[in-house]
Amino acid sequence: MLVQQRKRMAFWLILPTLLLIVAFKIAPIAEGVVVSFQAQSMMRPNPDAFVGWTHYKRAIFEEGVFGAALWRTIVWTVGSVAGAYIVGLSIALLLNREFAGRTLFRALFLIPWVIPEVATALLWKWSYGDEFGVINFLLMRLGVLETPILFLSSPGAAMASVIVVQIWKLYPIMFITLLAALQSVPRELHESAEIDGATVWQRFVYVTFPYIRPTSVIITLLAAIWTFQNFDIIYLLTGGGPADATKILPTLVYEKGFWGLELGYASAISLLMLLCMTVLSVTYLLVYRAQREET
Amino acid sequence: MTDTALNPGGAPRSEAAMNAWRSREFLMRLGLYLFLSALTIVMLFPILWMASSSFKPQSELFARDMTLLPVKWTLDSYIAVWQGTSFPSYFLNSFKIAVASTALSVIVGMYAAYAIARIKFRGRYAFGMLLLIAQMFPQIMLVIPLFIVVQKAGLLNTHVALIVCYAAFALPFTVWMMRGFFETIPEELEDAAAVDGAGILKTFHKIILPLAGPGLAAVTIFAFIRSWNEFLFALVFLQSRTMFTMPIGLASFQEEYTFRWDLIMAGAGIITLPILFFFLLMQKFIVAGLLGGAVKG
Repeated sequence: MLVQQRKRMAFWLILPTLLLIVAFKIAPIAEGVVVSFQAQSMMRPNPDAFVGWTHYKRAIFEEGVFGAALWRTIVWTVGSVAGAYIVGLSIALLLNREFAGRTLFRALFLIPWVIPEVATALLWKWSYGDEFGVINFLLMRLGVLETPILFLSSPGAAMASVIVVQIWKLYPIMFITLLAALQSVPRELHESAEIDGATVWQRFVYVTFPYIRPTSVIITLLAAIWTFQNFDIIYLLTGGGPADATKILPTLVYEKGFWGLELGYASAISLLMLLCMTVLSVTYLLVYRAQREET
Repeated sequence: MTDTALNPGGAPRSEAAMNAWRSREFLMRLGLYLFLSALTIVMLFPILWMASSSFKPQSELFARDMTLLPVKWTLDSYIAVWQGTSFPSYFLNSFKIAVASTALSVIVGMYAAYAIARIKFRGRYAFGMLLLIAQMFPQIMLVIPLFIVVQKAGLLNTHVALIVCYAAFALPFTVWMMRGFFETIPEELEDAAAVDGAGILKTFHKIILPLAGPGLAAVTIFAFIRSWNEFLFALVFLQSRTMFTMPIGLASFQEEYTFRWDLIMAGAGIITLPILFFFLLMQKFIVAGLLGGAVKG
């Protein structure tokens, strides 16, 4: 009797959460699918008219915008995640020892993670400036550069510049999770490897890395998912420009939907994007599982 | 990598060797500190630069020779942004929305979290999976259908739409984290209350909630920071300046006040400060929460 009562109570306890999540996260996906097959252009009458695969064909074949943006999104994601992993792991290895002040350094290195996206983008934009930007100023003062680099306004440099910002935003989460993982490495193993004459690199590859590999895979996957869908940083830094050099899928979706006012078309692109994300993460997980079974 | 790295040869035998080893260790420590300090400055340089820029008079911002610290310290840009622009109203809007959406998600979420932590009901596993899956859907994908729904409901350019959306988007994480906290509380405490005839809700309010205080605080701060920083939904849902939140208000400064980087840096400082304060205050909690399984979503 009491058990039955508890179970009925559980239903009422989760109901509000369930309603909110279904209404704002699940139902919109379904709505998005419907919309992607409708005209839904604010410039044309009859938004609900069914147009079949028109938007999808247009995105993939006729305008070809999807493929190009997908490629840029992959460059952006791989560059940012790889960079953040290397920076994060290096800092984690440095802090993986006992010393006074370790907690302080740990907190300081985490700070970029809590800086709001809009502040992050704007402070980097200010630092990247050509005439009054501090980075160009320092590089010229040190004699590295003769003329300022147009970090954000030259098509050749823009992608690398936005990737640096994302690396800066992303490395803290990498370093804090990797630092926790490093603490699971048994010290005796290290000592015996050292006695056997293993070099620092060999010790890292054969002793340390196997212990942090599961964490590495998970955090890399998560970081890739966040970066793949990240909108704020690129939108605020370059708006997808110059000359489309940084137009990744999220900024493309926004541009088509809210500048072009073609919600149906934008919705089709966003669904293609979700498909890519799903394919990526499923592949990744399968690779991970296969690796685990091998060892 | 800890002490062994500093003492690769094992324990030294003679006293002379001991002294040599000690001074070597001292030098290595010193090197480590110097290196870490330099690295911290490099990594935090953009933030230091933002802070320094916000305290410079406008003339220094656009000077040929830049200085790391302001030559003349001034609060001019903060005064200008607070008195000469709509920034105070952006600040207030952001604060209202963040408080309301955080309260909504924490209050709604804590009951759901308690249910999945303690009651073995049918569909508990499915509900947990739903939360995880909901967490995966990108915001940029949901923004178009949500825009259509909000428009149809006549809620464009209102704060209500943002409050409910922010709460819904924070919920999966809130529930997931709180479930973890509730599970650490010994179940015997509740059994005792149940024997005394207290109902589930009463037990929850009287016994569990007071004990889950630190966890609740951490979750609340997470949800608050999320709303405070959110950019995309605010950009799409809000249209008139009087309704703007701080992130989009600040971003709009770029067009409204071209080249007024003094205003922009002061605004960025004002957005960042409360977050930084919370973070440094709750640093240990936040790190523990992050490592407790669920990572920011």
